[in-house]
Amino acid sequence: MTATTDHPHPHRHYEETSADDPRVVLDREIGVFEPVPPYPPRTEREAEFYTLGDGEMLLNMGPQHPSTHGVLRVVLKLDGEKVVDLDPVLGYLHRGVEKLCENADYHQAICYLDPLEYVSSLFCEWPGVMAFEKLLDVDVPRRAEYIRVLSGELNRIASHALFLGWMALDLGGLTPILWSFIERDEIVDMLSALTGQRMLFNYFRIGGVNGDLNHEFMSRLGDWMSRATEQIEAGNTLLNENEIFVRRMRGLGTIDSTTALRMVMTGPNLRATGVPFDVRRAHPYSVYPELDFDIPTRDEGDCLARYLLRMDEIRQSLRIIDQCLHQMPDGPIMAKLPRLLRPRPGRAYAGIEGPRGQYAAYVVSDGTDQPFRMRIHDPSFIHLQAVGVMMPGHLIADTMAVMASLDPIMGGVDK
Amino acid sequence: MTVIARGWNRLTLPGKIIFLAVPLLIALTVGLVATIVLLGPWLLDVLANNLPIVRFVIAATVVLLMTVPTAFLIIYMEMKVIALMNLRIGPDRVGPFGSLLSVVHGLKVLMKEDFTPTGADPLVFTWAPVVVYLASVMSLLVIPFAPGLFGQDFNLGLLYFFAVGGLAVVGLLMAGWSSFNKYSLLGGLRSAAQIISYEIPLTLSVVGLILLAGTMSLNQIVLNQAGWFTDWYVFQQPLGALIFFIAATAEANRTPFDLTEADSEIVAGFATEYSGMRFGFFFFAEYVNVFIISALLVTLFFGGWNAPFDWPWPLELHIDPASLGVGLLLVVAFVPLALTLAFAAPFWLASRRIKGWQALVLGFVLANLFIGALLFAWAYLGLDWVAGIVWFLLKTYVFVFTFVWMRGTLPRVRIDQLMGFAWKWLLPASLLNLFVTAAAIIVVRS
Amino acid sequence: MDRAFKARLEARFGDRLTSAVHQRHDETEMRIGAGDVVAVLTALHDEPEFRFEFLADLAGVDTGTVMQVVYHLWSDTTTDWLRVIADGLPRDDPRVPSATFLWKGAEWMEREAYDMFGITFEGNRDLRRIYMPPDYTSFPLRKDFYLADDAARSPGAGVRPMERTQAPSNAPATALVRRGGT
Repeated sequence: MTATTDHPHPHRHYEETSADDPRVVLDREIGVFEPVPPYPPRTEREAEFYTLGDGEMLLNMGPQHPSTHGVLRVVLKLDGEKVVDLDPVLGYLHRGVEKLCENADYHQAICYLDPLEYVSSLFCEWPGVMAFEKLLDVDVPRRAEYIRVLSGELNRIASHALFLGWMALDLGGLTPILWSFIERDEIVDMLSALTGQRMLFNYFRIGGVNGDLNHEFMSRLGDWMSRATEQIEAGNTLLNENEIFVRRMRGLGTIDSTTALRMVMTGPNLRATGVPFDVRRAHPYSVYPELDFDIPTRDEGDCLARYLLRMDEIRQSLRIIDQCLHQMPDGPIMAKLPRLLRPRPGRAYAGIEGPRGQYAAYVVSDGTDQPFRMRIHDPSFIHLQAVGVMMPGHLIADTMAVMASLDPIMGGVDK
Repeated sequence: MTVIARGWNRLTLPGKIIFLAVPLLIALTVGLVATIVLLGPWLLDVLANNLPIVRFVIAATVVLLMTVPTAFLIIYMEMKVIALMNLRIGPDRVGPFGSLLSVVHGLKVLMKEDFTPTGADPLVFTWAPVVVYLASVMSLLVIPFAPGLFGQDFNLGLLYFFAVGGLAVVGLLMAGWSSFNKYSLLGGLRSAAQIISYEIPLTLSVVGLILLAGTMSLNQIVLNQAGWFTDWYVFQQPLGALIFFIAATAEANRTPFDLTEADSEIVAGFATEYSGMRFGFFFFAEYVNVFIISALLVTLFFGGWNAPFDWPWPLELHIDPASLGVGLLLVVAFVPLALTLAFAAPFWLASRRIKGWQALVLGFVLANLFIGALLFAWAYLGLDWVAGIVWFLLKTYVFVFTFVWMRGTLPRVRIDQLMGFAWKWLLPASLLNLFVTAAAIIVVRS
Repeated sequence: MDRAFKARLEARFGDRLTSAVHQRHDETEMRIGAGDVVAVLTALHDEPEFRFEFLADLAGVDTGTVMQVVYHLWSDTTTDWLRVIADGLPRDDPRVPSATFLWKGAEWMEREAYDMFGITFEGNRDLRRIYMPPDYTSFPLRKDFYLADDAARSPGAGVRPMERTQAPSNAPATALVRRGGT
């Protein structure tokens, strides 16, 4: 390749690809349907997976599919309709968030954290903001903490409502998703009155939140809280008492607590197996020690347990919101910080309980105004590994149901 | 030749069209007239001698053409009803309340690119939708819509129906296999397994009915249910009706048994690789199937074209318009005008905002509706087939609505649960029904 | 900040630590070498006085001079998060034993660290790239990663002429290396 400045005609020139380039060959023989990688297997697992036994076939549920939760490619090894093994292929939504944060300010980095788990954006911002505050030794005012908890729990309800709808949609029910979107719509309108945005809120700041509670938000919240319980219960009875729904989910994708702990699962997926681990109680942060709520747990570890557990969590979130409203202290909503933030060199880790599990950030600072390393730990990423453990023995139709019950958000999985 | 070319180039495009079209039309007209004059009497003779065949051809054509608006209506109904159940609005742009949406869908489907995927078997790929549609349409031939309104009255009508309905399996398998796509293959095999499994409870559940009715002719079965609604077979064969309903839902690939086209699992099942009108055929065939199973359910168990109450059809209404003579002309000239003014007057008098011409238009529309209603009532009372069609369609569409309602509400079952249900529950239940019916007949008739 | 915990760690692992246990806010940090990872993690996981059975995070870090693998653990025996830094991995061939023998869920986290940094986890059965395409040649989160260089060799450059970008200019061999806080 010559440098463009030496070229006699400095315009774009295209290099012709040789006809033996494997990509050209692949392109020509369109009849390649097998989702086998075009190189010999490089790892043990790859060899094990892509060697087909007797009567087995590979089916590609590609990134474009009506019901994978975002762009996820899953290669299924099937024996008829039964799934023998599966291999998720990630990276279709990889945006290089960690690298982008290294080239951004501490304040700007918060904006990059929102689109990770876009359904529950406030929980994506929270650990990043908490880690920055630890690096800067900043104390967050109590009012700001209460507002964070309040908006966070609202976001949790919105996220679980979306989960319900999506779960039903993956099983074939067209109605519940639209009904749960009514819930989500109301909450999102509320949060847009508070933060200015409907989805990627960009609300938390280092040292507090951006903007106090306003009249619009409080009136919408009060109105919604007065009918929230009946609305949610009405939506639930549509599914809980539906025989087909229950029979499809019971006993599906069962995982026991030992395996769940070995797979490093967190959040509702772990609590549905019987382990009462919740970061809000295990390693309390913010003002959760002052709030009174239960940690619902179920024992069966199947899809139905995960679904019912998230219903219970919505009820607990409503309790927390109620307490926040009653106990809301007065005061500033943001700590006083200099405009240019230069923390001392050091490291900080912050983990919180998001709707999907433990959401964490590990920040390394080198004394400049940009984070040196911003590592984001996402629960959906971990839980997708568990699909390979839960699926063998079930049918194709259950792949989607199991994945939906783990509630992955591809933005977080792919960062 | 250049003279001709030069003269041709002088013409504008409309000129060219007219220049070519007019002589062609004249030639065709002359040809047609000549054919009619020369061959007319002979043709009429042939037709008169083969009246049953002519009748059948006309009936079959009507049935085939009738499937199209039926499918359109059911497609629109499904979208609108499910939308309202989902607390959405649904189609509301194209036509009043979106009612012309199906027409637009039909046009869209005709205008899409029609391709055959590489690796697909072109012959089988092309003929699969035809076979599926054929199965649907052929089964419509035996259903009696009204007294005297049926395609053909076989005395093995029910057997023919089930036999022809099974052709759809062949079509689905053809589609699934020839698409050269694993999703299609899975969908095709699933649907074949499903339809074959549910055919057995389907046929067994009506054998009890056949024993009761003593005939397999659908027309005769409907005639047996004449009278009050308590004569309908659903009260004599409740279990059979229930099994038939469930098995028919599975036969038509409707929710909760729609895993062949489960778009959250296998994209579009057997129809993944189809686009354009070929997909339109599958789509149509599905909705015509819904109509067919509703129609069959109504025919077998809910009285067919009989009204729920006893009515001495036809009523002899001695209305003879011709007896008025010249007065008829006056009636036709003045009555519509009078009615228009009569209907327009209250609107114009009561409200200040409605102007004169608006009131007249409104009056005209209402007058037409009124006259139409009167004529319809006359037809209903005077002609038994009008009443028959009305009741038949009403009952059928109640069941179509039920199928659509189920689609909006229920999730899908899994293939192993579906097969288990058919073989372990429905089959023994239908056998039980059959034995009980047979025993009851023996006991009662002895 | 659990002072007693720091004492316990230094008592148990004193010989393996490469520096003193550092505590700040609610985190306790210890540094070990790559060879001690298996022993230390097994001890932390199995021993009844530690019982760090929960792996909260596994990350790779490129400090500019060395590579690190950072494990975050949680136990109910202490109120702090424990950070174990496997320090001092050479930049051109970083190797560390895999943690998948204790936690199967670490498999993908190690795949990500390999994909982004090039750290090889010995014992991981599935050490392929997870985010980048399988025939990618660079490790994006390294400090010496140069984007234009990557674009020239990226397999995403397309096959047909209209999908190719213009020929890139020469990229310098050594790119910006930032001295990081260690």
